[in-house]
Amino acid sequence: MEIPIIEAHNLTVLYGRKPAIWNVDFKLPEGQVIGIMGPNGSGKSTLLKAIMGVVKPTTGYTKLYDQELEKVRHKVSYVPQRQEIDWDFPASVWDVVSMGRFRVRGIFKRLTSEDNDIIKESLGKVNMLGFAKRQISQLSGGQQQRVFLARALAQQGELFLMDEPFAGVDVATEELIIDLLKDMKSNGKTLIIVHHDLHTAQSYFDHLVLMNTRLVACGKTSDVFTDQILTDTYGGKLTTIAKISQELENKEFPIRHR
Amino acid sequence: MSFWQNISTYFSSEYYTFWVVSIGAGIICFAAGIVGTFSYLRKRALIGDVVSHAVLPGVAISFMLTGVKNPLYFLIGATTSGILSIWLVDFIQSKSKLKPDTILALTLSVFFGIGIVLLTKIQHSGDAAQSGLDSFLFGKAASMTMHDVIIFSIIALINTICIVVFLRAFSIISFDEEYAKSIGFNVKVIKSFLALLTVITVAIGIQSVGIVLMAALLITPASGARFLTNSVKKMLVYAGIFALFSGFSGVIISSSGKAMPTGPWIVVVLSIFTIIAIFFGKEKGVIARMRTRKSNNIKINNENTLKTIYKLSKEGNESISRDQLINNQSTTQFKPTLKRLEKNQILIRVNESVILTEKGKLAAREVIRKHRLWEIYLSKYFNLDPDHLHDDAEGIEHIITPEIEKHLITLLNRPEKDPHQSEIPY
Repeated sequence: MEIPIIEAHNLTVLYGRKPAIWNVDFKLPEGQVIGIMGPNGSGKSTLLKAIMGVVKPTTGYTKLYDQELEKVRHKVSYVPQRQEIDWDFPASVWDVVSMGRFRVRGIFKRLTSEDNDIIKESLGKVNMLGFAKRQISQLSGGQQQRVFLARALAQQGELFLMDEPFAGVDVATEELIIDLLKDMKSNGKTLIIVHHDLHTAQSYFDHLVLMNTRLVACGKTSDVFTDQILTDTYGGKLTTIAKISQELENKEFPIRHR
Repeated sequence: MSFWQNISTYFSSEYYTFWVVSIGAGIICFAAGIVGTFSYLRKRALIGDVVSHAVLPGVAISFMLTGVKNPLYFLIGATTSGILSIWLVDFIQSKSKLKPDTILALTLSVFFGIGIVLLTKIQHSGDAAQSGLDSFLFGKAASMTMHDVIIFSIIALINTICIVVFLRAFSIISFDEEYAKSIGFNVKVIKSFLALLTVITVAIGIQSVGIVLMAALLITPASGARFLTNSVKKMLVYAGIFALFSGFSGVIISSSGKAMPTGPWIVVVLSIFTIIAIFFGKEKGVIARMRTRKSNNIKINNENTLKTIYKLSKEGNESISRDQLINNQSTTQFKPTLKRLEKNQILIRVNESVILTEKGKLAAREVIRKHRLWEIYLSKYFNLDPDHLHDDAEGIEHIITPEIEKHLITLLNRPEKDPHQSEIPY
């Protein structure tokens, strides 16, 4: 592997005493569609948030393009989980997608006509141009997801981190996202996607990170999508890790001495 | 005394205080209303309540330390303890498993309790300078001076400028805090700044409306405004206008009679505004929803009548008599429905009979088509027996949009017959 696009080293995030992710190490290649998979509560979303600096790692670090996040932030787009947002917020589709230009324009500067063109183009790519003025509270789940994708596209980054973009969307949106991903990959973008549906994993992803609080496996899909590794991720280990985590939380036990 | 004379006395010098108080109240309500819009949008309605109660110990301590009733010292004390309370809420939230509402209630009562203890201690100290400190509890708008109005105007101006300048930042942290972090906005600083504005506004405002009612000034204008618009900018404008007018008219109402408290009247006027907004708001308002429901009913009646006429006319005669119609359908509001259909050129009335026009026939076929498509869809995808399909389709046929119909036709490969072997009229 050349310079990895993302490197995680000894990454641990604790919520209280409970580890959400625990000593995770991996390196991810550029220009691929990479899936992050694991059972519920295995720390997939937390991993994305730690990479994006949304949550602070308790120990360890991540590097993007072998650099600090701050230096390459303009290249990275984050698509949060749709369900974490209150969609009854008073805003239109256009308002939300235009947030994608805030990184470039900062807190104060007005958006330019160039920004408007980029927003339009992004909306077009997810087939939502006709909905620009629509209130976000009136969107279906699939449409909400498209709006979030358009917002990320408007950032014009190189690396996309998406949290469960396929969760609760209609078939049409799922197909649209797949096409979009292929298109982005052929343009050299790197896509990292938190996903939970094992059936589609092989067809969607070139590379997989399988985790259950700890990292179970990371590698080419053809190498790591094996019965043994899947059992390790989803099966027996779940209970052991979950039990230990619960003990740590209940007894307020430190996971290591500092 | 004529009406105009009556009015003009209000502008004479003896009404000077009255105007000072009403304008002052309007301005401080405005300041609270716009900054409170973000408390509302961030779903932190109760934080306003916590802060307004939590400023009391600050006020008491600043008096104990200085021994004078200086609004500036009060402001410093109040702001400090207000910020402390917000910090405490965040701290407990990050360190414990307590639920947010528990933490808020806990912080509120602890701070307020300490405040009351200190206040009681001061009142029994025999210090003459302390008299009137208890007006912080319920506010004392009537004692407002021009000096206060100037301070209120300054905070209103500061709030307005900050909100205009930081609108983007405040909106994005209210909508999607984590995304804001991901694009590198300093969310912590933005949140603290917003909290500071809120606390200072509260600290200034309680001197006239009191601790107990301050939270209402933050939240009520925004919750009314939300019913009227779907844009943050317009919400701010509406909330500001609501609050300004309520503060102003609350004072007018309370000064019109004896023993009419100002603070509560302001809140009453605000609540009336909110109730009006709940009724008349577009889309979300009660009236708008009643209108939608009514237009739905009209559509259902129209289409059902249309279907009945079409089916009867296919069975035999082109023209259908009234009696035949009444016997064959259960639609209420029979007469107005026929009238509407006639007006829309769906049917023609000849004597006591009706005949469908070409347009009417097309419309009828559309409804029947949607009905049958839905039946096929149900039987194919949900394996329902043929006798379970009709009732469902009877309701759904009215809300299938052309878009969904197209989708159904492609999905079902443009079927010819429905599960009851009836032809689909394309």
